[in-house]
Amino acid sequence: MINYIIRRLLGFIPVLFGITLFTFVLVRAIPGGPFESEKGLPPQVEANRMAQYHLDWPMSKQFISYLFGDDIVAIVTGDEAARDGTSRGLIRGDFGLSTKYRNQTVTDIIKVALPTSAQLGIMSLLLALFIGVPMGTLAALKQNSWIDYTSTFAAVIFMSIPNIVLAPVLIWILALKLNWLPVAGWGAKPPFFLGIFPPPSSLNKEYFQHAVMPVFALGTGSAAVIARLTRASLLQVIREDYIRTARAKGLTERVVIVIHALKNSLIPVITILGPLFAALVTGTFIVEQFFGINGLGKHFVQSVGNRDYTLLMGVTLLYSLFLVGSNLLVDIAYGWLDPRIRFD
Amino acid sequence: MAVTELTLEQSDAAILERKERSLFQESLSRLMKNKVAVVSAVFILLLTFVAFLAAFVPIFLDPLEQDLLATNSIPEWMLFLLPDNAENYVKFSNVYPLGSDHLGRDMLSRTMHGARISLSVAIVASAISLLIGTVYGAISGYIGGWVDNIMMRIVDFLYGFPFLIVVILLQAFLKARARQESEGIWLTLININNSMGGLFFLFIAISLINWIGMARIARGSVLSYKKKEFVEAAHALGASEMRILFKHLLPNIIGPLIVAETLAIPGYIFTEAFLSFIGLGVDPPTPSWGIMISEAVQGIRSYPNQVLIPALLLSLTTLAFNFMGDGLRDAFDPRMKE
Amino acid sequence: MFKKRNLLLAVLLLAAFALVACQPEVVTETITEQVEVTRVVTETVVEEGAAVEVTRIVTEEVVVEVPAEEPMMEMPVTLNWNFGTEPPTADPSLSTDTTSVDLVGNMFVGLTKFDPVSGEVSPYLATDWSVSEDGTVYTFNLRDDIAWVNYNPVTGETTQVTDADGNPRFVNAHDVVYGVKRTVDPNTASDYAYVLYIIKNAEAINGGSEEVTLDDLGVVAVDDYTVEFTLENPAGFFPAIAGMWVANPMPQWAIEENDSKWTEAGLIVTNGPYVMESWIHGGELNLVKNPLWVNADDVQIERIEGVMITEASTSFAMYENNELDTTGVPTTEIDRVKADPVLSADFYSAPVPCTYYYGFTNNKPPFDDVRVRTAFSEAIDRQSLIDNVTKGGQTPATSFAPPGIFGAPAPGTVGIGYDPDAAVAALESYLDEKGLTREDMTAMDITLMHNTSEGHALIAAAIQQMWKDVLGIDVRVENQEWAVYLQTIKNTTPLEEMPHIWRLGWCADYPDENNWIHEVFNANAGANRLRREPSQFDELTAQAGQEQDPAVRAELYAEAERILAVDEAAYAPIYHYTTVNVTKPWLTRNFPPLGANDFYNWTIDMDAKLEAQGN
Repeated sequence: MINYIIRRLLGFIPVLFGITLFTFVLVRAIPGGPFESEKGLPPQVEANRMAQYHLDWPMSKQFISYLFGDDIVAIVTGDEAARDGTSRGLIRGDFGLSTKYRNQTVTDIIKVALPTSAQLGIMSLLLALFIGVPMGTLAALKQNSWIDYTSTFAAVIFMSIPNIVLAPVLIWILALKLNWLPVAGWGAKPPFFLGIFPPPSSLNKEYFQHAVMPVFALGTGSAAVIARLTRASLLQVIREDYIRTARAKGLTERVVIVIHALKNSLIPVITILGPLFAALVTGTFIVEQFFGINGLGKHFVQSVGNRDYTLLMGVTLLYSLFLVGSNLLVDIAYGWLDPRIRFD
Repeated sequence: MAVTELTLEQSDAAILERKERSLFQESLSRLMKNKVAVVSAVFILLLTFVAFLAAFVPIFLDPLEQDLLATNSIPEWMLFLLPDNAENYVKFSNVYPLGSDHLGRDMLSRTMHGARISLSVAIVASAISLLIGTVYGAISGYIGGWVDNIMMRIVDFLYGFPFLIVVILLQAFLKARARQESEGIWLTLININNSMGGLFFLFIAISLINWIGMARIARGSVLSYKKKEFVEAAHALGASEMRILFKHLLPNIIGPLIVAETLAIPGYIFTEAFLSFIGLGVDPPTPSWGIMISEAVQGIRSYPNQVLIPALLLSLTTLAFNFMGDGLRDAFDPRMKE
Repeated sequence: MFKKRNLLLAVLLLAAFALVACQPEVVTETITEQVEVTRVVTETVVEEGAAVEVTRIVTEEVVVEVPAEEPMMEMPVTLNWNFGTEPPTADPSLSTDTTSVDLVGNMFVGLTKFDPVSGEVSPYLATDWSVSEDGTVYTFNLRDDIAWVNYNPVTGETTQVTDADGNPRFVNAHDVVYGVKRTVDPNTASDYAYVLYIIKNAEAINGGSEEVTLDDLGVVAVDDYTVEFTLENPAGFFPAIAGMWVANPMPQWAIEENDSKWTEAGLIVTNGPYVMESWIHGGELNLVKNPLWVNADDVQIERIEGVMITEASTSFAMYENNELDTTGVPTTEIDRVKADPVLSADFYSAPVPCTYYYGFTNNKPPFDDVRVRTAFSEAIDRQSLIDNVTKGGQTPATSFAPPGIFGAPAPGTVGIGYDPDAAVAALESYLDEKGLTREDMTAMDITLMHNTSEGHALIAAAIQQMWKDVLGIDVRVENQEWAVYLQTIKNTTPLEEMPHIWRLGWCADYPDENNWIHEVFNANAGANRLRREPSQFDELTAQAGQEQDPAVRAELYAEAERILAVDEAAYAPIYHYTTVNVTKPWLTRNFPPLGANDFYNWTIDMDAKLEAQGN
């Protein structure tokens, strides 16, 4: 088990390196740079700013600086002037200074934005699981009954409403018409509990009021996916021989379903939880945009427009890290759900 | 948006890998009994027909023609869709059957042309990713050994990218290049893209990402079939490797892949809408449902009708593809029998 | 084998968080508390067979309900403001955008400021100033009572900074000199350093010249409260430049101590009417009134709660829900707002000194011919565009600088406006001479380009239609994402890749024609995106910048405007911007044409606001 995890973790290194390199090259290949401005910067000012971010260096040198830091650049290239640079390199946890937000490092930005997105994401995921799994189970057990049809239909409907429409409609109805909820914002502020969770003092009515609409908008779509998946998977599993055996043994239907069938049918659900977790936790642009939530989602989109090379690299790597990490957790969870899977 | 995509692909990978072969005839009759799936299929066919009609039969207004004096107008019957105070600011005009948008363009013909975009995204992007994914996955699984290992590592690597960032980056890259390069293959690509209102690059961006999931499913299926008797038999009869792969194996694995792709289509349609919202979709003034929604959504409380029409169709279309995918899956999986 | 227990633990942890997160709202308006109560009890006891009443004092613990919060303190006068986006910086040297400038303008003082109503340059940190005979040396006398202050987020107190000797620190001439030098220093990499190029040696120093150093910069502190600027050449507009944020006094010790973090809440040292209370990047930024500010008594709004909502429709919904006191109106909502009995009273559109224009690529055929440019400019029905598309009550533009800018011609007096007949005549004269038809023109694939944006697309689509209707020429509209667009329209782009027509806007940095027609269009001074050949126009604007007599300057600028817009028709001005805004009745605000939104001049009727919010 430990060996398996270590092997997987080592496997991350080339993947993450490849992603870093590819993104690094691609963002610089897009025409337009971070310092273009409407006023038309005088060449010397532009040159000053390029120099500040090492953008006047050849790309290989920039990449070394980004990955390992300026002191390594000095050693590798013999360019002693490079030591004056501020980059300490990715390997030392330095994502660099944002080109757009001039007084903030990428780490600063992530520290504020990630926890908010994560809280929203985790709540949405929980909502999705708490609605999705029971709904799917019920539908499968009562296959082709009205329960099945209603829940399948509801699931598919929720999957079919784009958030671009759902979010403003929710605001219109729940906040403006009925006056039940605030329009926008998020109830918890830094410093966060353990760096991620809302500080206990802010877990009040207001916090949940702010969360209702975005969690609903994000969670229902995922709930629908999970419900359909659970249904389909459970339908397959309850026709398996071992379930018949379990029934034949005289176990109660409840034991058969909960202990034997459901556990096995959750494998596909667990499979999607990996990428779903990574996607939800690192923020979703539309929901955060409409509900004015200071999350990470906007940086995925805006950093491309701003050509904020460092921030773009930062959020990309962060997402990749979450994705490979949660996929590893998923694979580990397989072993628990299905003893036939071994980690050799 | 992206969420749905990932999940669908993943889920289907997980489920479909467990599938076995079923008799086509039997499946088809099962499918025909599934009324929802049939209705969905009919809806999609109808939509395709409308899209063709809009594109080739000029009986409707020009979707690009604007009339600045008749912006945001509605036919009178539509007033009930608008907020209470609407009669004080809305313009009435019966020239446009479904009203006009903020530039005085006909909503009906824009919606119909929009169907063309959404459907072509659905069909072309899924066809491309199905093609690449199946061939890649099948080869990888069939040859096996170190080739398989390398090919799958590449897939793992690509899979680690944030889907959205890659699409955004690719779209930004392709669109930016579109103006700057004017030679060789780029020029050809750019001309194709321009003549399609920016759609071509959208296809490339979406399908370049989505073949990965297909490749995984295809590989899994090939692995489970390649030791079966009929493959051994073909070997014994001296069939070439390529013939075995494409003539014997592919027909057996393609069913589940098509189902998976059908279920991935709503994700593509959503992606188009999302990219339009952030300004990286098709080029305006090309009408697409995504662009129509994102153009109108700011004014949703003034003119909800302008959001409602494209959004309703977009939802119905994804709904139809979902139900059709479900129907296909149920029909082609013998274990789903009553 | 894999250990189930660990996973179980993880699941439990997750579930624990779920419980916390999903707990039904424990909304307690009151909480229970144990308190000691002393009371007098009278009881009847049976004592020796007889009932006797005894009175005694007991002390016992009881559980009582008390309000969860202290009775509401008097609510500070609060403005709920939407910054619209995270301010890219709060550093005066680095600010370039309106959001950052809003922040800087309320926290820092400049030598001069623009009167929020008239837009004229008036004293601020400087009480008065004088200029030498030849117009190249400006001397500013400073007031000595503006304190450097720092807000402590823990105690909530604003205190005056003291120097090494423990004396209270006031803003002085050395701080001004430091600020100016810091902006010009190439290591600061200030985008706006070029605004100060008028100061002697600034351009060379900023360009990293080996020959001159920061010590050679034309700014010195004559004494503690007098600062002297030496300019490259006479510039009548210099007092306006001296008031700009990049020339603000800055706290050297704080900047050197905290480096790029000096603008964070708690660390930042400021000298303006407001201090920074908190700044959660990307989320919210709160300002509170600086009690040590010289005119603190005149500042009515005590606290500004700023959010950063990008989505205009969300911001507008927050306004309708009384979560914001003032906000912009999305174009698509203007019709409804104007028709709504409540919102229409809140609606206000104020001019902003910005101009929207289409540039022509002056050396790209067929736009290398002035008649073609004239025809395209005259074919734009600016009023119809404003009435039907932009809807914000903008002013049609025929020349470049908007009203309120020194030297700007009154709208409509200079330049060419909508004149379809003249447009057709000009075009036909060109076509006849070249032996071309309109179809030939269309075949030239004339391209209009704008950066990707809903608003620009609308305008482009409308104007495209006007050209088609009036001139009978089809123009292709293209858009590019901002960063790419800016690169495309540079004057170094090969001509084939350059669009024939492109859109840009310009907003005032300081209210003088020099900032407009000279800095933008002068082929030698600006970016020359129009790709003009230098002409009499370029001489005129350069000459006007050095002229001392205001009347003569104004005349020179008027002539330059005319040449560019009429004789050369080098660009097509479209309209002068307005800000389209709704403001709650309890907020009295102004719309400063230049510089920051001056929160310190605004007032709020807090009672009315609280009543509306239902508190």
